[in-house]
Amino acid sequence: MKIFHFLLALPFLFNSCIGDDVVDDFVPPAVRITAPLDTLGVGKTWQFEAKFTNNIGAEEARPVAWSSSNLAVLGIDGTGLATGLSKGSAIVAAEVELGDGTTVKSERPVTVADSTVIPPVVMTLGGEIKSTSSYALKGSFEITESGSGILISIGSDYQASTALPGLYVYLGNNRSSIANAKELQQVAVFNGAHSYQVDGVGLNDYQYLLYWCKPFNVKVGEGEIK
Amino acid sequence: MKIANRAVSVFTLLLVYNAAFAGGGWPQPKGWGFFKLSQWWVVSDQHFTDSGRIDPNTTMGIFNSSLYAEYGFTNRFSGILYFPFFSRAYMNNTISGTTGETLIPGEAINSIGDTDLGIKYGITLNKPLALAATLTFGLPLGKDNGGSAGSLQTGDGEFNQMLQLDAGTGFKLGNVNLYSNLYAGFNNRTNGFSDEFRFGFEVGATFLKNRITAIARIQGIQSFKNGDLPSERSNSTSIFANNTEYLSFAPEIAYNITEKWGVSAGVGTVFYGRIIFASPAYSVGVYYKLTK
Repeated sequence: MKIFHFLLALPFLFNSCIGDDVVDDFVPPAVRITAPLDTLGVGKTWQFEAKFTNNIGAEEARPVAWSSSNLAVLGIDGTGLATGLSKGSAIVAAEVELGDGTTVKSERPVTVADSTVIPPVVMTLGGEIKSTSSYALKGSFEITESGSGILISIGSDYQASTALPGLYVYLGNNRSSIANAKELQQVAVFNGAHSYQVDGVGLNDYQYLLYWCKPFNVKVGEGEIK
Repeated sequence: MKIANRAVSVFTLLLVYNAAFAGGGWPQPKGWGFFKLSQWWVVSDQHFTDSGRIDPNTTMGIFNSSLYAEYGFTNRFSGILYFPFFSRAYMNNTISGTTGETLIPGEAINSIGDTDLGIKYGITLNKPLALAATLTFGLPLGKDNGGSAGSLQTGDGEFNQMLQLDAGTGFKLGNVNLYSNLYAGFNNRTNGFSDEFRFGFEVGATFLKNRITAIARIQGIQSFKNGDLPSERSNSTSIFANNTEYLSFAPEIAYNITEKWGVSAGVGTVFYGRIIFASPAYSVGVYYKLTK
């Protein structure tokens, strides 16, 4: 009878409960000016914009304090609307309070001249995809504005291991987590050039191209967007 | 075995653990049998990659409560069943170390597991060298795509057939009874999975008035890498993956409580692997020997 009870108890004795895996996903909070301008005309205005990402890389709405280093040259109001006042140079700053008495700031030099110079429509960012695991993953990439979003063009030197289960590609601001990243799609090309059209995303919205084994929540590789 | 493949892995890691007083080149005599209720489990936060190195993964666990049975229909033919009647696979929560929030909630699935049905034929009987051939059918009764990401599995989703040849012999060293067994098998896998070559060698010793049997096993799987399973459908690195390979050492010890009843415990450690969990698997069980 004791053996019978032991047999009955076996499945319940050894079938475990779900535990916790803690990941170190801290990233320094940051603010980025996302509507840059190099030259503003005297008497003209420009609406600057900024995005704040918190200590896990998630975008968060926070009050932004705008300032100009030379108010005689460039004035700016609390919404980031700048006005060219006279020829010269100034630095535009966007600053966000973190709540513990510290702040994060992003600065951008602006020249005030005769006329406004809009940044080139076609601006290219890019980088190198590198493996952060034992699985093969490498290649170059470029990102350009395209339609209502961006086009990520992966180079012909791209290679990825086909042994990976469920390899996905993301855009993110935290290289240690995809919790707040934008999932693009499951990787279907493992060798050679290909591209991803991502609508509703700006060139400066994300800092990393991330490759993740989604079923096992494991980072496989990354490319810093520069 | 999908980052370790089901029928092969499960068969090797689970079923072969049941070999105390069963398996090898010796079929059960007519009317005799061996029945074992086992618990087998592995919990792993790392796996062997396709290059043979070890990478981390979210902690996952697989637990099988199973019945293993061998029964002699004749002196040459034995039927074999491995039936995991309760199989559980789970994945841990992923928690932010910064905020304490749950980033990805853990999941679990429960089901019956992939089941093996086999028939063993004794090529030689009552000879110093016991030869047997075993044909095993791996029935995909488990789940191969559980959880929101499809990574929780209690089976690999493919029907496989394995032909295995065993050669065993018994001998004595002093007062200790020993046996050794060598096997090799071909596992034909379907549904895009690669076929496999399986092999193993074990030595067992019975002592303390036949109370204790200690077994040491070395087992391996070599993939032919001839499957065409697309990587989009490959969602495992556990024990159900495709193109899994490994070499393992799996000792087991059995204690005969009576002539018919006994208990056993074993551990399996993979010291070379590709696309399989890189953590030890454990098993405990109670067995019953049906004799005349």
